[in-house]
Amino acid sequence: MSKRKMFLRMITASLLRRRSRMLIALLSIAVGAAILSGLVTIYYDVPRQMSAQFRNYGANMLLLPSGESSMTLENAETALQALPADTLIGATPYRYVRMDMVSRQLSFTTAGTDFEQVMKTSPYFHIEGRIPENDREILLGKAVADQLGMRTGRSMELTWQAGAQTAKAAADSASVAGQTSAENTAAEQDRQPGATLTGSAEGWQNALIYVTLTLDDEAKIKTITVDASLQTEEFGGRTATDEAFLAQFIGKSLPLTLNESGIDALSGATVSSGAIVQAVNEARAIQAGSAPVESKRTFTVTGILDTGGEEEDYIFMSLKDLEDMTGEPGRLDVMELSVQAASTEDLQKIADTINAGAMPAEGTTAADPAESASAASTKNAEGTTAAAPESTSATGSGSTEGAAASTSTSNTASDVTARLVKRVTRSETTVLGKLQSLVYLVTIVVLLLTMISVSTTMMAVVTERRREIGLRKALGASDNSIRTEFLGEGLFLGLLGGLLGGLLGFVFAQVISVNVFGSPITLQPLLLPATIAVSMIIAAVSCLLPIRSAVAVDPALVLKGE
Amino acid sequence: MKLLEIKNVSKIYGDLKALDNVSLHVDQGEWVAIMGPSGSGKSTMMNIIGCMDKPTSGEVLLDGKDISKESGKALTEIRRDKIGLIFQQFHMVNYLTAVENIMVSQYYHSLPDEKEALDALERVGLRERAKHLPSQLSGGEQQRVCVARALINHPELILADEPTGNLDEANENIVLDLFRQLHREGTTLIVVTHDPEVAEAAQRTIVLEHGKVAREIINENFEE
Repeated sequence: MSKRKMFLRMITASLLRRRSRMLIALLSIAVGAAILSGLVTIYYDVPRQMSAQFRNYGANMLLLPSGESSMTLENAETALQALPADTLIGATPYRYVRMDMVSRQLSFTTAGTDFEQVMKTSPYFHIEGRIPENDREILLGKAVADQLGMRTGRSMELTWQAGAQTAKAAADSASVAGQTSAENTAAEQDRQPGATLTGSAEGWQNALIYVTLTLDDEAKIKTITVDASLQTEEFGGRTATDEAFLAQFIGKSLPLTLNESGIDALSGATVSSGAIVQAVNEARAIQAGSAPVESKRTFTVTGILDTGGEEEDYIFMSLKDLEDMTGEPGRLDVMELSVQAASTEDLQKIADTINAGAMPAEGTTAADPAESASAASTKNAEGTTAAAPESTSATGSGSTEGAAASTSTSNTASDVTARLVKRVTRSETTVLGKLQSLVYLVTIVVLLLTMISVSTTMMAVVTERRREIGLRKALGASDNSIRTEFLGEGLFLGLLGGLLGGLLGFVFAQVISVNVFGSPITLQPLLLPATIAVSMIIAAVSCLLPIRSAVAVDPALVLKGE
Repeated sequence: MKLLEIKNVSKIYGDLKALDNVSLHVDQGEWVAIMGPSGSGKSTMMNIIGCMDKPTSGEVLLDGKDISKESGKALTEIRRDKIGLIFQQFHMVNYLTAVENIMVSQYYHSLPDEKEALDALERVGLRERAKHLPSQLSGGEQQRVCVARALINHPELILADEPTGNLDEANENIVLDLFRQLHREGTTLIVVTHDPEVAEAAQRTIVLEHGKVAREIINENFEE
């Protein structure tokens, strides 16, 4: 029999036949290893899980119309093709219009959307009742429902007016994409004596404020009406009702400047006040040619939406119903995306890919004529995918014409700008960062505790086995033999404990993952060998002190009779 | 021929002279008993001969080589190669079987050989108890395993410390018979004891008193 075989026979016998003591050491290592491997598994899996989890907090990317142009569904869908496969969890189109409930003399922001997608990008939407499935069904925000005293199953009539819609559409694109000089010029031209102008601008937290002006014979403001229902009631909301604030506008010539022109911001509503001034400056005449077109539909309320957010002030209907009323198919104000990405950087990269080649609105006016021309040509070819392959082949030719065409190729998505929803992506990064520190801390603590526990147990083992150690020495064991044997036992313990702990850890991580995240984890194939290796190292280190005391045993003392 | 020669050996622990200028020798193949009451220096003598302790002064010649100044490591090697130890408390590794306990001795000496270990057990009449743990063996059986273990590496000297101290008379006789057998085969035996009956089984008895050799008795009735 080889020495190695005898060595293994001795240490296995020591572990198997001296069960009680060794079981404690084994258990310490296994528990330590289980916690470690479990933590590491969760740690590696959590960013993925968290990413999916954070998708529950809503969209993390927005597609917005860029420049003056409005966005169509086709634009947005073209832009989505830039996303890596399988990363898109949901893409929800939104078109906002103002609709009136004539019978109650109230008007509401109405969102046309795709309900199937809504549940993917906004899983936190809590709906009492059900989601609209058929035509002519709507969802009411809780605030709307409360205001109207509506309940599910009831019907209500909504009216859409073309005039208000046009003005709002113009204001929308201006407020989202930023003010352009062209817009201002158009607004200037509309400031005719006796005209009625409407405009809107983003106020607090990007919620829109609407103004309606009438001008007197000298084209000065005769009346002003503010709709600040989307603002916080006790702050920005007051701008609509504060008579002293509104009186400041009367008799003023346009354009105005806040805190100059005799317009002072309403205290506590500075942002909203600024938005009102902007909306006034950008206000456009209701197109004289298109006499207010009305469409009226009766809808059934299928559910009440409770989100705790601004959505509670909206009415939701299908995009199809909305387009049916407005007669403007394909237009979108925003598309909310929920994109799975490991980090903010990755998400930004995806946004950059979408934005690649897109023309920022500010650039368009200042750019050289050639560039403007190519932007214009893109606008003409809006969303026509058929044009794209042609352009691509032209690029390959390398001619000057090809170069011009390639600009328009990259601009197929130029009507669309992707933006990250910073609030969501940032909190994602923060939480992951904290989790990382926590895992480090717990790892160190667990390692230390395991080491102390194993070391103490091994120390007790050595004390218990002083006679045996003395006997081995008397039989001719060198100090090194004693060291090797105890180290061997330690490593063997580490191996067993690591194996046991690694498996337990996987179960532990799995249980946590299923309970916390509701989805199973993916197994890291290298984790088990790594856990075993770490356990063996820990066990070996823990044995160092006990080994020292084992080597110090004097056979003459411990073997003495009596 | 002298296997072991102790010349003017003293061992002093603080004020206590455990051994005081002791000189003695043991011939090759001789069976010697070292006797004396408690505190006479028997254990110290046993430890020095067994290479588990070093004298304060004097020479210890084993096989003609002075081992009194050797390092601990060298003493371990000498003990491993030349000496077979038998203890009063038997001292077996309690989680190893009888045969494995013998193999431990082989393991440190050279190579474990289960067959040879089983033969050694056969010799002490415990072949069928090979797979038993010490806790499953009687005291006498344990001591016989220890005798087998002491023999396994064919040491030049077997050093037994009160080998029958914890045994009943029947087992004492079995162990002494084993010693007689070993002696006939030419093994050198040193048995440290305070039991006159055990001492009488030897060829010669050295009596220690107060750390000195008080007298030597040649056993006239020694049976070859």
